[in-house]
Amino acid sequence: MKGLRKYLAPFAPDQSGASGVLYELGGILVICDAGGCTGNVCGFDEPRWFTRRSAVFSAGLRDMDAILGRDDRLVEKLTEASGKLKPSFAAIIGTPVPAVIGTDYRALKRMAQRRMEPEDLPVLTVDTNGMELYDKGEEKAYLSLFQNFAVEKFPAEPGRIGVIGATPLNTGSLEGGRKLARALGDGGKRQVCCYGMGAGLDAVRKASAAAENWVIAPSGVKAARYLEETFGTPWRFGYPGAEALIPEGDYGGKRILVVHQQVLGCCLRERLRQMGAASVTVASWFMTLPELMEEGDAALTEEDVFEELVKTGGYDIIFADPVFWPGMKGFRGERIPLIHFAVSGRLVD
Amino acid sequence: MKGEAYYCTAGELAGRGKEDIPAPFQLNAHLIYSSPATLAFNSPGAEGFGVKRAGLAVPGSVMLLVAPGCCGRNTSMLSAMRTYQNRFFYLLMDETDIVTGRHLKKIPQAVEEVCRSLEEKPSVVMICITCADALLGTDMERVCRRAQEQTGIPVRPCYMYALTREGRRPPMVHVRQSVYSLLEPRKRNGKAVNLLGFFSPLDDDCELYRLLADAGVRKIREISRCEDYEEYLSMAEANFNLVLNPEARLAAEDFYEKLQIPYIEMARLYQTDKIASQYQALGAAIGVSFDWEEDRRTAEEAAQAFRKAHPDAAFAIGECVNANPFELALALVRLGFPVKEIYGTVVPESFVYLNRLAQLSPDTRVYSNTEPAMLFYDGGEGEINITVGKDAAYYHPECPNVMWNDDCQPFGFAGVRRLFRELEQAWEQRKEKGAGQDWKQSGSQIPEPNHEQGISERLPEQSGKYNGNGRQEGDGVKGGSEL
Repeated sequence: MKGLRKYLAPFAPDQSGASGVLYELGGILVICDAGGCTGNVCGFDEPRWFTRRSAVFSAGLRDMDAILGRDDRLVEKLTEASGKLKPSFAAIIGTPVPAVIGTDYRALKRMAQRRMEPEDLPVLTVDTNGMELYDKGEEKAYLSLFQNFAVEKFPAEPGRIGVIGATPLNTGSLEGGRKLARALGDGGKRQVCCYGMGAGLDAVRKASAAAENWVIAPSGVKAARYLEETFGTPWRFGYPGAEALIPEGDYGGKRILVVHQQVLGCCLRERLRQMGAASVTVASWFMTLPELMEEGDAALTEEDVFEELVKTGGYDIIFADPVFWPGMKGFRGERIPLIHFAVSGRLVD
Repeated sequence: MKGEAYYCTAGELAGRGKEDIPAPFQLNAHLIYSSPATLAFNSPGAEGFGVKRAGLAVPGSVMLLVAPGCCGRNTSMLSAMRTYQNRFFYLLMDETDIVTGRHLKKIPQAVEEVCRSLEEKPSVVMICITCADALLGTDMERVCRRAQEQTGIPVRPCYMYALTREGRRPPMVHVRQSVYSLLEPRKRNGKAVNLLGFFSPLDDDCELYRLLADAGVRKIREISRCEDYEEYLSMAEANFNLVLNPEARLAAEDFYEKLQIPYIEMARLYQTDKIASQYQALGAAIGVSFDWEEDRRTAEEAAQAFRKAHPDAAFAIGECVNANPFELALALVRLGFPVKEIYGTVVPESFVYLNRLAQLSPDTRVYSNTEPAMLFYDGGEGEINITVGKDAAYYHPECPNVMWNDDCQPFGFAGVRRLFRELEQAWEQRKEKGAGQDWKQSGSQIPEPNHEQGISERLPEQSGKYNGNGRQEGDGVKGGSEL
């Protein structure tokens, strides 16, 4: 039955994705909810919340706020908090409540910008709705971030690399940014900027100075294309250090299924092929980009679709987060854990 | 970002009175800061016994969460617990559902599929809906009736409406009504009493069990100790209900209207003279005289022993605790301990305790746990050396801390005794390890009950075993057992 989940709890939603992109950038983040969504973001989907205090707030909406569409009260609260906290920017992140009442985010942004102190404080709105998945929210947040802050053209600096897509939800690690920077840094010869995970708002403002952008997850593609169109910055897919996720073993002649976000899945595929795998299928519950799809790859939507893939695929090895294992009944091959924080909420380290 | 956290002293608050609560303490006047406490209380599903866990209090029940995916996200934390395995199911809504309401038509079929997938038929299917359906005005009672007709299994709604948190029937009130709504009239048993209010049992050594037994009560039932559905149904035979948490008051009203079972309300207190007065009043109401002197003596001795061992103990009290933080602070002050800070939400009802606190400790600082400037709280002037509450541990990670928010419910003199025992342990651990309690580890995730060793490992004097819906079994007091 479409939409019915019997063993898989819902994955990280779009508002968590949006929040994860903006979390480290010194802004005030307002989750436009009654409290529960902020609880999910801070208490579950944002592992950095446990290690540092941050300006993530709930709008604290109540039924009459929603029924009467009292956006002015939200703006009033935001203005007051902004006056106290002096943030670099303010971001309003959507949830099901504004989605149901049809909040006009453009109008909300204009209203907030008019009243905000200081007057030129940038206000971002991300029209997430809690029904999409985290990568959709990341995609919207990255795009909004670069459109708002990467406005000046700097000369490209050789050796300066931008990384788009580095969030705990994608990397499953609080050290994700550092690990990627190390893997891509060529022993310090290259300056690697993992936007939102290590590199702050100044690096975002100077994004046009990057000689090249690496996109480590599908959620970063739109932003990379925007930077290419606006500043001519070339970009490529890649997940530096992905090979470390493959345990030692004999993969020669094996039929393998990899379940994760698509870019990481494809990088693992390349490596497994080099190691002699007979075939590697990449399946993802999240965005699947046509340019990365190969024959047999799967965009997963329902539990029974996944079960069918496992049953009929004839795989010898499956790389997947252990939360998927209940859907692999009857599979007699080897299961290799491939943690995906956006799925299980577990960190890899 | 730089600034100062907002606070008022107890004296200032009492001076302003309940008619003039400062805006930073009013929830609807500002954005809500995300401290551990606000996540717990602002979100009815975030942690502890929120709506999701509470909705599964009925033995053998399962839950179908009908909502946007985000509402069920943190449930994976619960699903991983053995107690809740194969008990949570999800029907995910999309944008079309919101526009057309078609998800409601799918519920009966989803309930059928869920039941088919289980080896044993559930006793009841709880349908949990969230803010989206609150705004759509969904008549979930009707949807549940239709699903029940189609499947032949009881189906009940429970509402995880964070939007209505300050309404007349907030989520945690409503869910208590839902979980008792399956009870049908039974022949009254004059020697049976229900304890309402919590979804996990009172401490095994709580004197309330013994006092009731001494008064001739032979069956004391708590939903968390019910072994099976039949035992849960037998809660309908009680002579009266004891309401131990005001959030169960409307459920008790339902008992009275539907089953003609009256109720008596008691509060969880830490002031020993008030606990004694409350037992005296209970005794008068049911026409018996309770003997609680020994319990009071041991509780007060525990407090004084701690005071003697740690005369310099200076407290900070959070609100993420099994207590009213203002009452707990007042109790500590009356026992002779300085309480330097309280992190709480001031509501008119708080003034019962704040007014008295203002007389005894007017300089106690009360911080608004929800106000944005709490982001700047920096730990004050180093005058605090012990804390109670997960939020207090968050603000003072260097201090010994007692979380005081575990499932097992403290009550009465036994609660006071356990509090001081745990304070002593926390102090000793700090001395040994040189660090405070890690609020991230023990507070952010719901602890998995140890089914093999039970909670006796954590609470040495207890002999009970944590089992299933928070109930206990073993040598200790058993739900519904002959006393």
